[in-house]
Amino acid sequence: MLRHLALVLTLLAAAGGTAFAAPPEGVQPPAQIAAALTEDVVEIRSTFAGAELTLYGAATGLQEGDDIVVAVRGPAGDLRVMQKRRVLGIWINAAPVRFEDVAGYYAVASTRPLSDFASFSALRRNQIGMDHVRLYAPESIRRETLFGVRNVMVTDLGGEIVDYRAALVRNKARRGLYGEAPGGVELLEGGLFRARVILPPTTPTGTYNADVYLFRDGQPIATRRTDLTVVKAGAERAIYDLAQNRPVVYAFISVLLAMLAGWTAAAVTQRR
Amino acid sequence: MQIYLPIAEISLNLWLLLGLGLGVGFLSGLFGVGGGFLMTPILIFLGIPPAVAVSSQANQIVASSVSGALAHFRRKTLDVKMGLILLIGGVVGSISGVQLFGLLQRLGQIDLVISLCYVGFLGVIGGLMLVESVNAIRRRRGASGPVRPKRRKRGLIDALPFKTRFAVSGLYMSVIPPIAIGFLVGGLAALMGVGGGFVMVPAMIYLLRMPTNVVIGTSLFQILFVAALTSFLQAVQNQTVDMVLAGILILGSVVGAQIGARFTSKIPAEELRALLALIVVSVCLKLAWDLTSTPADLFVLIDAQGGQ
Repeated sequence: MLRHLALVLTLLAAAGGTAFAAPPEGVQPPAQIAAALTEDVVEIRSTFAGAELTLYGAATGLQEGDDIVVAVRGPAGDLRVMQKRRVLGIWINAAPVRFEDVAGYYAVASTRPLSDFASFSALRRNQIGMDHVRLYAPESIRRETLFGVRNVMVTDLGGEIVDYRAALVRNKARRGLYGEAPGGVELLEGGLFRARVILPPTTPTGTYNADVYLFRDGQPIATRRTDLTVVKAGAERAIYDLAQNRPVVYAFISVLLAMLAGWTAAAVTQRR
Repeated sequence: MQIYLPIAEISLNLWLLLGLGLGVGFLSGLFGVGGGFLMTPILIFLGIPPAVAVSSQANQIVASSVSGALAHFRRKTLDVKMGLILLIGGVVGSISGVQLFGLLQRLGQIDLVISLCYVGFLGVIGGLMLVESVNAIRRRRGASGPVRPKRRKRGLIDALPFKTRFAVSGLYMSVIPPIAIGFLVGGLAALMGVGGGFVMVPAMIYLLRMPTNVVIGTSLFQILFVAALTSFLQAVQNQTVDMVLAGILILGSVVGAQIGARFTSKIPAEELRALLALIVVSVCLKLAWDLTSTPADLFVLIDAQGGQ
């Protein structure tokens, strides 16, 4: 709790400071945001069962009717989405589509439901919300000349992209990796706000970006980014690193340990 | 208490995993089977990526077959020559299996193939066991039933070349059938995360006609080395052996096997076999049901490693 309080005080100072430091002769920015997470490094140790963080922020120039959005995106990776089709009575995976740079974790919290205050184009441009998760399938994109325009990007997926996006979000949400929380950003007094960030046990390791947006009249007028790192630590890290960097040593150790365990068990029971 | 598995990258309940090891170990002690055919599907069902489940399970099989193989070696109830020839096939089978596993993962079909293999093998073996043990129980109840005539036909196997003498088994036969059996079992070990005893033991008895007293020892000998190789290859090539997971399973199964072994004498053999057959058939039916019933989600995500 003390740490949270200290964080809020620092934020207040930062928000005040930046407001005053703005150049007096130029155009005064309509609003500014400061934000920080209660932890910026999450360690995965042997007892890791997910983590819960709080993002605290302060906005200067916050007006009545403004909204705050917090979007946390985890490390991106390639992913294939396949459709299940019935062949001879058995469901098999078919029609794979490979998507590049899909966020491994994506959570959006906002003061109100996104569509209540933000325009479609602003959400799409900033990839905010589950309907606007960026999907890039390089293999299904062709460049064509259309209506006399060269190099028009045409995707083979067409309207199906909506199904694939929904499937991605649904599958990730089932494991707690994707989620939208309208009302998840809580406005406190004096332009202060906070949002909870919940990382499930399967959360990927790597760098996460937490983006805070201040929306006014359907558009984001200020943004702020803070980072979060999820790392394996302690024994989990040592084992993982060994398996990745010295696979032969790891393989020897694991087989020898198994043999030793079996042999010990046999020796103990025979003595009885 | 949750424990995070560093390679599987998920967090599971420690007691659940220990209990699973204990339960499967109990069954393996009771029936004298490896138990891999039960453990691997359950691990996958718990959300462990199939690749990690199969590879770590191979490591667990190493531990559980070491003690048995050693005991048989000391008692000399082990045909080392036959074991080595089986092993030649097993090594090739295991290497091919690990390659095939990697290929299927990249194609996104590994789950399907694992399930199909399980349904096929468990269905056939469970069905045969069930029929045979039910017949045996009926024969015993019905006083003096007809004794099953011993089959004499082995023309095809006798006709094969490269014959050699197996002194311990008292056989003079071609090396081709044992190599083929070893190959099949090695491939199964890599693909399904099983020792393969449930295929090898019947094959040794009915196809190779080995004397029953050396069958178990020889099959354990082959399983030990094939499982060790499979585990090693999976760790080197695919980095899918989870030491923590394997350790927990080994701990549970070692204790469970001892308890199971003590119960063996308290349950009549035929009923025991019928019970095992029922377990095998029900695992098969469950997997078959999952393959054919409409899935809850018609889309599936497959990450770069082939996990879901």
